[in-house]
Amino acid sequence: MNLDERIIGMIAQLSAVRRAEIGPTDRLREDLGLDSVCSMELLSMLAEELDVDIALEEAMAVTTVGGAIEMVRQHLGARADAV
Amino acid sequence: MPSEELASLRASVERFARAEIRPAEIDREERIPTRVLSGLAEMGLFGISIPEEWGGAGLGLHGVCEMVATLARIDRSVATMVGLHLGLGTRGLVAFGSDELRAAFLPELAAGRKIAAFAATEAGAGSDLAAIATRAVEFEPGRLRVDGGKIYVTNGGIARVFTIAAATPGLRGAKRGHSLILLERGDRGLEASGEERKLGLRGSSTTSLHLDGVEVPIARVIGAPGHGMEQLAHVLSWGRTAMSAGCSGAAQAALAAAMEHTATRRQFGRPLAAFEVVREQLAQMAALAFAMEALVEQTCALEDSPEELASRSRAAKVFCSEGDWEICDLAVQLHGGAGFIEETGLPLLLRDARITRIFEGANDVLLVAHGASAGLRADLHVGPALAKAKAIADGLAAAVSRQAEELREWLGVRLVTQQRLLHRLGGLLVLRESADAAVLRAEADGTPGTSALAEHWAEIAWRRAAPLLEGPLPLDRIDLIASRAP
Repeated sequence: MNLDERIIGMIAQLSAVRRAEIGPTDRLREDLGLDSVCSMELLSMLAEELDVDIALEEAMAVTTVGGAIEMVRQHLGARADAV
Repeated sequence: MPSEELASLRASVERFARAEIRPAEIDREERIPTRVLSGLAEMGLFGISIPEEWGGAGLGLHGVCEMVATLARIDRSVATMVGLHLGLGTRGLVAFGSDELRAAFLPELAAGRKIAAFAATEAGAGSDLAAIATRAVEFEPGRLRVDGGKIYVTNGGIARVFTIAAATPGLRGAKRGHSLILLERGDRGLEASGEERKLGLRGSSTTSLHLDGVEVPIARVIGAPGHGMEQLAHVLSWGRTAMSAGCSGAAQAALAAAMEHTATRRQFGRPLAAFEVVREQLAQMAALAFAMEALVEQTCALEDSPEELASRSRAAKVFCSEGDWEICDLAVQLHGGAGFIEETGLPLLLRDARITRIFEGANDVLLVAHGASAGLRADLHVGPALAKAKAIADGLAAAVSRQAEELREWLGVRLVTQQRLLHRLGGLLVLRESADAAVLRAEADGTPGTSALAEHWAEIAWRRAAPLLEGPLPLDRIDLIASRAP
């Protein structure tokens, strides 16, 4: 499972929206119903699982599924493809 | 409704309640007599929060809270039954229902000919409502089939109309997974059963709800399919605020009983109230009751700001339910042995208060959520109103903000998974909000009496905040002990 799939899997788990229906342009709040705490929980789970440090302000600026994937990719750098 | 009319309605409700409601009988019989239900319906109480065009009085949250608090001063089971109908039971339909759905159901609900219930909790979904397993599918165009089961349904045995939360993945193209659906007693496959025997609130009906292939038109979905969780947040804001008002009313009844008893009961040649330690407890109870009422008032004032209402109602629910328990417990204590005897009514106050710390969101879960919301906000500043407030409340507010900021800097996004830290932060925030509310109310009132109450509460809140500013005890030791506990 690649990084994108892992992230989408976690979003599906938190949002109770089916995995197949989640795409990069989906907005975490408006489209998937994740409130601010839930969105942060997602990013926190990612930070924990992938061992990256993400500042709260940076995480709060993320609004879409694609944005979450991109942010994690940037933090992972070269490690992204190995995850 | 103008404030004079509201005051007049409140006076009528209080007169009726004092004459007709007998708490000991309701507790013993485990039901609310029909004459009480009919009397409340005749006064229009079941319709006060329903818009006038559907037969109600169109009152907002403040009006609902006034009535619930008035009833709770006399009997908590009746207040819960009415509060549930006005809050969780009908609010979803009023706020989000289609005109057709509202026209079909609200007039009967407003008249009290039908009572409303709300069913979200399931055996596997308590505080974690996203885990709801009750499912509704569109089995043929325009028709829904609902299967599942609900537990702890307040008003379940007397309600004719149920708002239920169900998983509806993919319904009408909605990505989101849940919807609120209106069901009726009489819908084939719906059965309410098994009145629970409870520690308190025995007059309030609590049943399970079995949903076995219940088929209803898709028009019974409240609002847009898939938006159940955000609707639920709104409905819970109303429910929690109304419940806080009930806690405030019941606590005032307990305080009044304690004041009367300690003024008349003599020991060692003096009334109990002449003793310093007793007076200290009475002052603590009065200051706490004052802060509870103030927080409810200020929560009601946020009615038109959904996000702020959701946050403040969570704080009010935690603060008022804990405060209710504390005041009722102290009232029992101050009554001495008499406080343990059912006939005095004190044990009933205490028993009825206990559930409020659990239902409509267990307090510990709410504190973690409150801490998480606060942890995410960088704007926990001292607002303009607070600039005028007392130094103690300002000091507390500043300490809470500092704590939140330090945690944010230290943990970053990982803060939201640190439950024990969030629990403490939530607790600090609730104390801060209660002190703010008390001070602001005293400022608005401007009398020396309320000023003393606010100052007293702010100081108690500050002292209670101190241990929460300490770090939590070591988790490895806790885990070791908890895993070995018998």
